[in-house]
Amino acid sequence: MGRKKKKQMKPWCWYCNRDFDDEKILIQHQKAKHFKCHICHKKLYTGPGLAIHCMQVHKETIDGVPNAIPGRTDIELEIYGMEGIPEKDMEERRRVLEQKTQAESQKKKQNNQDDSDEYEEDEEAGPSFQQPAVQPQTSYITPMTQPGMPPVHGAPAVPPGNFAGMPPMMPGVPHMMPGMPPVMPGMPPGMMPMGGMMPPGPGMPPMMPGMPPGMPPPVGHRPGMSHMTQVPPVTTPGILSQPAMTAATTPAPQPAVTKPLFPSAGQAQQAVTGPVGADFKPLNTPATTSDPPKATFPAYTQSTASTTNPSSSTVSKPPATVTSKPATLTTTSATSKLIHPDEDISLEERRAQLPRYQRNIPRPGQAHMAVPPVGPMGGMMPPQQAMPPQQPGMRHPMHGQYGAPPQGMPGYMPGGMPPYGQAPPMVPPFQGGPPRPPMGMRPPVMSQGGRY
Amino acid sequence: MSLFGTSSGFGTGGTSVFGGATTDSHNPMKDVEVTSPPDDSISCLAFSPPAMPGNFLIGGSWANDVRCWEVQDNGQTVPKAQQMHTGPVLDVCWSDDGSKVFTASCDKTAKMWDLNSNQAMQIAQHDGPIKTIHWIKAPNYTCVMTGSWDKTLKFWDTRSPNPMMSLQMPERCYCADVVYPMAVVATAERGLIVYQLENQPSEFRRIDSPLKHQHRCVAIFKDKQNKPTGFALGSIEGRVAIHYINPPNPAKDNFTFKCHRSNGTNTATPQDIYAVNAIAFHPVHGTLATVGSDGRFSFWDKDARTKLKTSEQLDQPITACCFNHNGNIFAYASSYDWSKGHEYYNPQKKNYIFLRNAAEELKPRNKK
Repeated sequence: MGRKKKKQMKPWCWYCNRDFDDEKILIQHQKAKHFKCHICHKKLYTGPGLAIHCMQVHKETIDGVPNAIPGRTDIELEIYGMEGIPEKDMEERRRVLEQKTQAESQKKKQNNQDDSDEYEEDEEAGPSFQQPAVQPQTSYITPMTQPGMPPVHGAPAVPPGNFAGMPPMMPGVPHMMPGMPPVMPGMPPGMMPMGGMMPPGPGMPPMMPGMPPGMPPPVGHRPGMSHMTQVPPVTTPGILSQPAMTAATTPAPQPAVTKPLFPSAGQAQQAVTGPVGADFKPLNTPATTSDPPKATFPAYTQSTASTTNPSSSTVSKPPATVTSKPATLTTTSATSKLIHPDEDISLEERRAQLPRYQRNIPRPGQAHMAVPPVGPMGGMMPPQQAMPPQQPGMRHPMHGQYGAPPQGMPGYMPGGMPPYGQAPPMVPPFQGGPPRPPMGMRPPVMSQGGRY
Repeated sequence: MSLFGTSSGFGTGGTSVFGGATTDSHNPMKDVEVTSPPDDSISCLAFSPPAMPGNFLIGGSWANDVRCWEVQDNGQTVPKAQQMHTGPVLDVCWSDDGSKVFTASCDKTAKMWDLNSNQAMQIAQHDGPIKTIHWIKAPNYTCVMTGSWDKTLKFWDTRSPNPMMSLQMPERCYCADVVYPMAVVATAERGLIVYQLENQPSEFRRIDSPLKHQHRCVAIFKDKQNKPTGFALGSIEGRVAIHYINPPNPAKDNFTFKCHRSNGTNTATPQDIYAVNAIAFHPVHGTLATVGSDGRFSFWDKDARTKLKTSEQLDQPITACCFNHNGNIFAYASSYDWSKGHEYYNPQKKNYIFLRNAAEELKPRNKK
């Protein structure tokens, strides 16, 4: 399907090393990711253009191209699509891709190549769908905009390994993401778009499509990856999140369980996940990996990240903060605010801690609610075991809320109305009709016998 | 608005006493109000299964009660019965035949409520509040699965006081969903575990969370052959991840989308990001509904990756939602979820449950 041809000429973005299906998409990507003003979001055409715009319109200087990987942030280099890319970078990319593809082919052999073939197909079809999705930040379509993962977003980051698993022949199979790492034109066949790993700007970054569980290791194989390494680190986090996926996608194995849904129950995702994160970093230049997020986006401060994720710092936090103490979230950032209490515990846990919601197990014998049916109740079932007011700690005393219920609750049915403050009219329907639930449920709720 | 698919100009259903036709923000969508709502925040809603004729809605609340209403075809809701726990009720579910309702509470117990006799008995015990409860019907066993903040997932044969099985989880259970043979549990610290339920429940895979914030709700979706194939996971950061278990192309098939945020693209003011409190899939169309702390509900088509509808903003967060068995009714609860802390809690504020006709609005968008 003309893969070869594509592979060689595959447009790639010099700023972030991502691959694209065609130049138009590449340009759209560059305009949206690299040449977009962080202040007013106007999309310019080139780096210098953006710099000039910021200076003239906002009186602000920018020191680098946004969302670019380290080393590729030169704001003065006029690059548009594939034009303007320095020759030496082009060559470097060809080399890298070539090495990647070779390493990939070895990997492929071990893993299921059949699946890879399928993936290729899918991936190629991908970009067209994905591309549009990249734009809308706030709309539903924004795929996986990992909060705080700007690097992932823009940077191919995903280590080449990402693509591992893709059939060795992935000649330039993009990987469907517009962000696919640049597949240099002229790459020898079999060059794996390593870039592919990139996580997809939209969609699942981390997921390396078709990455066999063994994927991470392959990453390490690429000696030539150093170049790419910069990128990978960035996406590591993203990648991490989906390692499991890879395992899942590589059905290959043995369907231990009957249904295809759970093909290999014993897959050691952990193995995949661990190494994915760990390998990516160490495998690639540790230096670059050390502080991926910051390094990659010199031009943008947290604010950029914030627009997509409320708190970049929070992003890094959850994974790191594994303590059982209620870690705190960073809920506010420059451009967004998380409407949630600071502690990293669930809303229900927080609420349940309050004294008003603490309850003791009713003493035996208290099972029946001592609440007499309030007038209209007409003898509705008294009880339901409400918490007798005497119970200590009952929020009862605290806020009348409970006070009312005892009367009304028993039956929020007919009799219950009044306590709710609802107008009696509501009641009539019930009273008139079957006063009690036809089911005849009347007896006290809790049958003591049922207690264990 | 008619509740059940026929346009009878139903309006608010006539069961609301408080001037159902008002446009105040407690019911901006002019949906049917369920009568006798609980006195405190509603934590969970569940409609009766198809095996039962008619529609019965169960709602659990922080007032320690579980209520049952019959929802009639004309939209009228009739309170039927109520049961109590000694602590706030966090989750409810039905048995597959519709004869029993299971309730899970902060009082560390779960109960089985036999609707015919209106008797409830305890069937489970944990060391911490039970956050999730689900009925599992497998060809070779049936049981109740409870997930608790005590970090265990237990399976109970309702006839025995001891669990059939107890699985350890890495962290406290925050939400779960079951569609045989798959179960998904999301825990604190962004844990995510998939279980396979065939023969007996066992952990299938631990997944690295596709989300970067605390998990809050999860719902399994099915494929065209009606088999569970993935799940939607919501977090406190206004985002939902659609995740397939074995997608042909994970990078492409899995994605996340933002929701329940204020300010759209206006960057002049900080964007408010709200938690996604619940997700529910339409049983027929496969489209999904999300409800959030912002007091809105939204309908989405995950295959076309588009939003179908977003509601007006209610004056309180929406804490729970569910569809009835045939997808004609969408129920959602408006009550405080504690998203702004203790200070914003007003015990006097009324809590609502609304019912909406869901047959039309959740039809999938044609794929572009």
